[in-house]
Amino acid sequence: MSFVFVNGVLSGTTDDSEKLVKSIIEDRRIGKIPKEVNVRYRKDTDSVMVNSDGGRLLRALIVVKNGKPLVSKDDVKLLAEGHINWQDLIDKGKIEYIDADEEELAFTALKEEDLTPAHTHLEITPLSVFGTQASLLPFINHSNAHRNVTAVKSVQQGVGVYTTNYLIRHDNDSMIAIDQQVPIVKTKMYDNENFNSHVFGQNIVVAVLSYLGYNMDDAIIINKSSVERGLFRAMFFRPYKVEETKYVGGQSDLITMPDKDVAGYRSEEAYKYLDEDGISAVNSHVNSGDVLIGRVSPPRFVSSIDKFRLGVQKQVESSIECRTGESGTVENVFVTSTAEGNKYISLKIRQDRKVEIGDKFGPRSGQKGVVGMLLNQEDMPFTYSGIVPDLIFSPYSIPTRMSMAYLLELIGGKVGALGGRRIDGTSFTGEKEEDLRKELMEYGFRENGVETMYNGITGEEMQVRIFVGDMTYIRLKHFVANKIQWRARGPIQLLNRQPTEGKSKSGGLRLGEMEKDCFVAYGSAMALKERFDSDKITIPVCSKCGMVSVYNVKKRTGYCPIDGEDVQIKLIEVSASFKILLDELKAVGIYPKMVLGSKV
Amino acid sequence: MKIEIPEKYIIAFKKKYGEDADISELEKIYIRSLVTPGEAVGVIAAQSIGEASTQLTLRTKHAAGLSVINTTTGLPRLVEIFDAKKDISTPFMDIYLKPEYSKSKEKAGDFASKIIEIKIGDVTSSYTVSLRKKEIMFTMDKALIKDYGFTVKDVTSRLSNMKVSTTLEGDQLLVVDKSADSVKKLIRLRNKIVNITVSGISNVSRAILNQNKEGEYWVKTIGTNLTEVLKMEEVDTSKTVSNDIIEVSKVLGIESARNLIIEEVRGTLENVGLIVDLRHIFLIADAMCLDGTVRGIGRYGLSGEADSVLARASFEVPFKHLVEAGLYHESDPFKYVANNIVSNQVIPVGTGEVKLVVKENGKGHSKENAGENKE
Repeated sequence: MSFVFVNGVLSGTTDDSEKLVKSIIEDRRIGKIPKEVNVRYRKDTDSVMVNSDGGRLLRALIVVKNGKPLVSKDDVKLLAEGHINWQDLIDKGKIEYIDADEEELAFTALKEEDLTPAHTHLEITPLSVFGTQASLLPFINHSNAHRNVTAVKSVQQGVGVYTTNYLIRHDNDSMIAIDQQVPIVKTKMYDNENFNSHVFGQNIVVAVLSYLGYNMDDAIIINKSSVERGLFRAMFFRPYKVEETKYVGGQSDLITMPDKDVAGYRSEEAYKYLDEDGISAVNSHVNSGDVLIGRVSPPRFVSSIDKFRLGVQKQVESSIECRTGESGTVENVFVTSTAEGNKYISLKIRQDRKVEIGDKFGPRSGQKGVVGMLLNQEDMPFTYSGIVPDLIFSPYSIPTRMSMAYLLELIGGKVGALGGRRIDGTSFTGEKEEDLRKELMEYGFRENGVETMYNGITGEEMQVRIFVGDMTYIRLKHFVANKIQWRARGPIQLLNRQPTEGKSKSGGLRLGEMEKDCFVAYGSAMALKERFDSDKITIPVCSKCGMVSVYNVKKRTGYCPIDGEDVQIKLIEVSASFKILLDELKAVGIYPKMVLGSKV
Repeated sequence: MKIEIPEKYIIAFKKKYGEDADISELEKIYIRSLVTPGEAVGVIAAQSIGEASTQLTLRTKHAAGLSVINTTTGLPRLVEIFDAKKDISTPFMDIYLKPEYSKSKEKAGDFASKIIEIKIGDVTSSYTVSLRKKEIMFTMDKALIKDYGFTVKDVTSRLSNMKVSTTLEGDQLLVVDKSADSVKKLIRLRNKIVNITVSGISNVSRAILNQNKEGEYWVKTIGTNLTEVLKMEEVDTSKTVSNDIIEVSKVLGIESARNLIIEEVRGTLENVGLIVDLRHIFLIADAMCLDGTVRGIGRYGLSGEADSVLARASFEVPFKHLVEAGLYHESDPFKYVANNIVSNQVIPVGTGEVKLVVKENGKGHSKENAGENKE
């Protein structure tokens, strides 16, 4: 006797569990019970699990009986001609949906040739073991599984045309690649899912060699002349959004060209792009620090004296300026109102993003890397026939990752470029490596894809033949221009006078505890002190009570609030954070007395 | 600069190069080997071990199924040593035997089975508690008792110094406690009885016989009890060791504990293929054993006992240390790295250690050193 669970609830028992499972499956196939019902017999708990609830992931498979798939050649023909459709095949029980539980019972063949009488199901296509995204990657059945995961992740970061109405959208961090090409090595998924019109990436010439040491590890070298011809060029859009907020008491922000008497008025130069309405003109080229949208706000804190003062209160300027380190062209401006009825302005800036050192690129096989050097075309290596690669990839990235898809795509791309056709790189069913090699030989090249190359700087022939071919590379969304940050001087925090933190506040780079330890271990005490001098202050200390006292710099005299003027006041140099510590100790009732010694 | 070379180096030097060897050559080597004044040896030692142990975390080997005894290795063991933990997770002893025992497998085997601790609980299979009779009835496993090589009487004699009366009825051992007035008390008594050692050495749960390259047998045990083991006549007391640092410091003294720390750290690091200069480990072991007892590095050890208030406060629980310093009128000498960093002064390490010497009236005279002190 075994238990029967329906959707996890104990609903009865059965003496012949095998028969029950079989009859449920049969009934489902002939349509007696819904197609979404799945069943499984669990040996370990001796129970039959019937599932019909929502939220289960179902998978379509062709039903196999006695080693023969139920979907015949005729069915496929009828389906192609449009006489029957998908639902008809399901209704006839030729294709069924099974869930993860019932999958345990199924014995599924990947290809029709593999079928034996023991099989119960057949994959509709071998490609269906991958998801939609993985199916777009060529030859991934040759690669390490982990590489395929990485490849999908990096393709997701690719810059393409994410939406066709990007001109009127004001998304944050939106990037558009200017040029896209259909890959030479495609998969069937490109045709099935209409990816031919949504492609991303460009077909470029890639040479696999180590050159000048600028493509160490995962770095790549890109041909500077190709970049100047427009390779991988992209646009970056940044919207600036402003609201004309209304405050309690009838006061309100005002989007306008600020008057000169407004508190915090910048310079006339900063407002040069503003029109009369206070918004920058479309197509004006703005740099960091330029005001994009002029705005004045009512004074924040109304002091008690101000209330009795006559006349209009001084407005505060609160304009929106272009971010530090960025420049661009005003693309378009939207003026609308929010749900509360406030005026709302969104201004979008377009930035040109040429390829520069540090930008990230990746093929469709998980071998992403950053640009280590941009080389002029005359310095790049060239082949016997004069082909100059657009990109140089390091051969040392291949053996440890075992991403054979990279190599196969390179050969495939070369064959496709020479033959003027697209190569089918679909996993399991795509073109065979041997055929590609044979075809490459027919075009007069070495069948393994290597060619004689010459050093672009010396003109010498290279001692080894270089693997060179065509493949698709994608520009990934991590641009250095968005991430680069530096600081020599800059804003400090109000409380402890230390530099601010973070890129947007042009913050400093922290010398942390472990870095401090390195200075200590090295014994460079003076250099360490200098690094921590960023919050250095000079405080007067009473030599009698040891507390911070008062000092008049002009008169060079000081006095102690406790001991009066008859004491010696010494000036010492400490960090502002240490003074805060002393103040806080006093606040909790601890007397921090400083006893001063002589400096020498 | 005048240098005094320790005598042991001179002896070793002469032994190697002959009695009339040039001592000035030794002086050169000696000066070269000295640590420069102001070198931050502590930080360098910490970095040398710390850097290595970051790799350790990733490469901790799982020795399951490989060896008979699975000991704690890798980073967990290092943490255990440096924290000077009292209850280490896998305590063990390497017991070496005197020649007359170590040569014969039989005698060594007898010794190994002798030291395994057998409790009453191990030789009884079940028990019942009766509150009415105020008795606990144990069912003894006689075959097992015979296997271990002692009699039922040995078991009962262990109970003689407890305030209970015991009787034997066939396989049953009846323990009557007149004072018991609740089941709870009886069960507590039962738990006590079950843990009584019948034979062997307490804490030694397993003993495994090993043979070294010279064909001598030695015993590895799980659980340590150095005091008892060293009393046994079969044991070679000069070689037998435990891996419990606290126990070794109590039984064999602080010098042994220091050597054990060095040996354990070196062994643990070597086990995972990391080479750290021994002198770094020496320094840490010396610091841990400085005051005659083994102290860990951490809030309750070295760092928690630093004599600088700010150094302690900047390590952990600052407010507690500051308030205590205020209560007990503590002063901070401003001699260390942490407090000088906090107040942005030059740290007394490396180039910061060098001070000017001012000549007054033509005579060499050095002034007291600088900096400010805080009370």
